Amino acid sequence: MSVYRTGDPLDRRHFLTAAALRGATVIGTGALGTGVIGATALGAVDADAAFAAPIRPLDPAVAESAFAEGRITAINDDVLEVAGSYGDHSRIRVTGATSVWKARATTAADIETGDGLYARGLPLPDGTLAADAVWVNIVNLHATIRGIEKTRLHLAHGHHEIVGNLMAETTNAAYGTASPTADLSRLAIGQSAQVLGAWRPSDGSVDLVRVAVPPGAGRRR
Amino acid sequence: MACGSTKLWNGEATWFCCGNAWGPCASAGGGACGTCRSSALQAAWPNASKACWDITRPDLCGEDIPRRGCGSVMKVRHDCSGASVCVTVSDCGPRTRSFCSESTCCDGICRTNRVIDLTPAAFSAIGSLSSGTLPVSIFE
Repeated sequence: MSVYRTGDPLDRRHFLTAAALRGATVIGTGALGTGVIGATALGAVDADAAFAAPIRPLDPAVAESAFAEGRITAINDDVLEVAGSYGDHSRIRVTGATSVWKARATTAADIETGDGLYARGLPLPDGTLAADAVWVNIVNLHATIRGIEKTRLHLAHGHHEIVGNLMAETTNAAYGTASPTADLSRLAIGQSAQVLGAWRPSDGSVDLVRVAVPPGAGRRR
Repeated sequence: MACGSTKLWNGEATWFCCGNAWGPCASAGGGACGTCRSSALQAAWPNASKACWDITRPDLCGEDIPRRGCGSVMKVRHDCSGASVCVTVSDCGPRTRSFCSESTCCDGICRTNRVIDLTPAAFSAIGSLSSGTLPVSIFE
């Protein structure tokens, strides 16, 4: 399973705050649609690495990290306008230090209006949240495999059916305690599975990143 | 009950969504306690009630997890980074019995069996949502 490592979280936090407060991002033209986020002087900025260690305020007067969720209603330069699931509204500021995940570690250029997200970051005086990580459309569901096709799985989640899209060079399976593998041949109909992936707002399907099945469930006979 | 330092349990933490939500989570509802929200620092516990226990059955994986009902407060600590978060029990889960012997390791420390499910807000406070599982220790 995952192991997290990163650089000094305080350095990262300082960079994030400074970048947001100065309005100085490393996003190409300053617009999400054309920008590039993913490499900073701090090193890796993928989402796993970003959360490798506790992020503590530099100053006791600085608020602890905040969290926001919802669907993106508009993208204005480097700010995501987000409608929360309880009628609330958040403004998420994406900076050069923001890690972006959308089925993989990626850039803000992949974020679209209509996407769902979870974001974590620092609340700023202007009311925005300077995000240090944004997970776009991420879902983690307990499901049962009901059907297997070459390019997709049919999953039962509660009382709903979900189509899971198999993505070449991305989808992997975790069989019990073994490391994740690209070999999906041991997935079987009827297995319980924990499915981590990215929801597609356009059709409600899920791009599968990892399908974890219980130990023994994928054992070769 | 406070978010204390008395060791309660250890194992794998996973994450789940609940309450009003987008995507496949839209149908999740408020959970067994009726108060669960993805954006709150909350958790699902496998022995939140007798009815809950009958679903999760952690004992089938060798985990005799004690009863802690809705409203109980716990501190969940990432075993490698040391990051921690205080959560309130607001649902029943995870379904421990479905993943007996599954383990998550970091820096040579391995935790076995799913013993707590965190909301996205709580899980992201100590780890990355894209990892799916974390090795944790739980205190109260």
